[in-house]
Amino acid sequence: MSTLTLAARDSRTMLRRNMRRWVRYPAMTVQLIGIPVIFLLMFAYVFGATLGAGLGGPAGDRGDYINYLVPGIILMTVSASVQGTAISVAMDMHEGIIARFRTMAISRGAVLTGHVIGSFLQTLVGLAIVIGVSLLIGFRTNGNVAEWAAAIGLICPFSIALTWLAVAFGLKAKSVETASNLPTLLVLLPFLGSGFVPADSLPAGMSWFAEYQPFSPVIETVRGLLLGTEIGSNAVLALAWTAAIGIAGYLWALRLFRRPPVR
Amino acid sequence: MSTVTVPRTRPERLRVALSDALTMTRRNLRYWWRSPEEFVGALAFPLISVLLFGYVFGSAMVVPGGADYKEYLLPGLFGMTMVFGLVNTVAAVVTDRARGVTDRFLTMPVATSSILAGRASADVVRAMADLVVLIGCGYLVGWRWHEGTAAALAAVGLLLLLRFALIWVGIYVGLVLRSPDAASVLYPLVLPFAMVANTFVPPSLMPGWLGAVAEANPMSATVAATRELFGNPAVPGGSWMTEHALALAIAWPLLLLVVFAPLAVRQYRRARH
Repeated sequence: MSTLTLAARDSRTMLRRNMRRWVRYPAMTVQLIGIPVIFLLMFAYVFGATLGAGLGGPAGDRGDYINYLVPGIILMTVSASVQGTAISVAMDMHEGIIARFRTMAISRGAVLTGHVIGSFLQTLVGLAIVIGVSLLIGFRTNGNVAEWAAAIGLICPFSIALTWLAVAFGLKAKSVETASNLPTLLVLLPFLGSGFVPADSLPAGMSWFAEYQPFSPVIETVRGLLLGTEIGSNAVLALAWTAAIGIAGYLWALRLFRRPPVR
Repeated sequence: MSTVTVPRTRPERLRVALSDALTMTRRNLRYWWRSPEEFVGALAFPLISVLLFGYVFGSAMVVPGGADYKEYLLPGLFGMTMVFGLVNTVAAVVTDRARGVTDRFLTMPVATSSILAGRASADVVRAMADLVVLIGCGYLVGWRWHEGTAAALAAVGLLLLLRFALIWVGIYVGLVLRSPDAASVLYPLVLPFAMVANTFVPPSLMPGWLGAVAEANPMSATVAATRELFGNPAVPGGSWMTEHALALAIAWPLLLLVVFAPLAVRQYRRARH
């Protein structure tokens, strides 16, 4: 059997292990998928009228605001899911199972690949639920099949890129308790971008940050594809950020994983 | 061989119980002192909310009557922090149980009331620390109270009363839940309770049914009463519940105490057998 075939088989085994963990420890899965849904409902019903009235323009009332909000919540779902990845990688590192895997005749990369694919599948489940709830509460898109496919085609690589970064965060964490600290910044970025309110409605310094941070171009591109708003250069920026985060996260994770274990 | 002297008279029993409660309080506070990241973590959400709602969404938020949104927001965040304290109490009780600490206490000649009073008083001390930090942050972002020190202290008292009542809810829930895994699911459940209230926006701006739920939320009474006592903007033309916020801010926590304190004690005693 070729090295590639063995690596693929080992990755599949690791993926199965991660999926079994979802079933045995459903609390984290419920939390990671539940919180974006709660935020969607809270922002739609609790803040919808206030933000809708306060923003005018793209968000004139609650219905318009829900349409404006959903792309931001979609990206929040992605960033919330990767928080779980960092925690489960840190758990593996600190419970000694990784040290055990190192002594076995399995592909080194398979352990991390299993985590990444598992997290990605979990993200897809979360996205399906969030989009389903969005449609139920009144999200209306004028995107056709091709535009939906393009939006998903952007969200998926961005999700994988963030997952590799989260794997690196998990490997870097000093303990399981602190593993969620760095990924929390990723969860905050949709809020500090154009996810919930237009970037130009923010205070000066924050408006500048919102415009140039990685989530804003992705959110604006998804919004453009699903709602027909102007995309401009956001699509190119979104792809560039995805590639940069993915490559940096992947290389950093591999470097951290290849370090000799601390005795 | 050492013997345990059993206190006979009522004053003696009370003195021993108070001494034990103080020991338990010290033990719980020492735990937080040694793991400050937990304290910081618990305050993270309210502090982030100050920044997010004060600055990021603040410009887009409209309070009826044209009041400054930060002035409206901060008392809501104080109330929300008291409610989120419930999760910390549950987590602490569940962790003690999972690590076998509770079983150890149950074998010792210590009154149940002392163990639970120690947990409650430590949580109140922590709630005070939370409020000091949040009020300090409020001052930094431009929030002020306008009704004098006595009224401000009364507002803090109402917030601590709500927290004290929720401690007993937390102890009971923590004793009922067996695994720390189950306790972690509480956060998404407490989040709507803290947000479907007058925390961030007036209930009148929510859809009819949701506004009614928000008005009836015990936290809304405390928040409305503290806004009044701090002299921060309240929404004009409120419902019966808003009109009687001060009375309800005392009644709701007392009702929770009357229901959950005995339940918590009974659940703890049940753990003995």
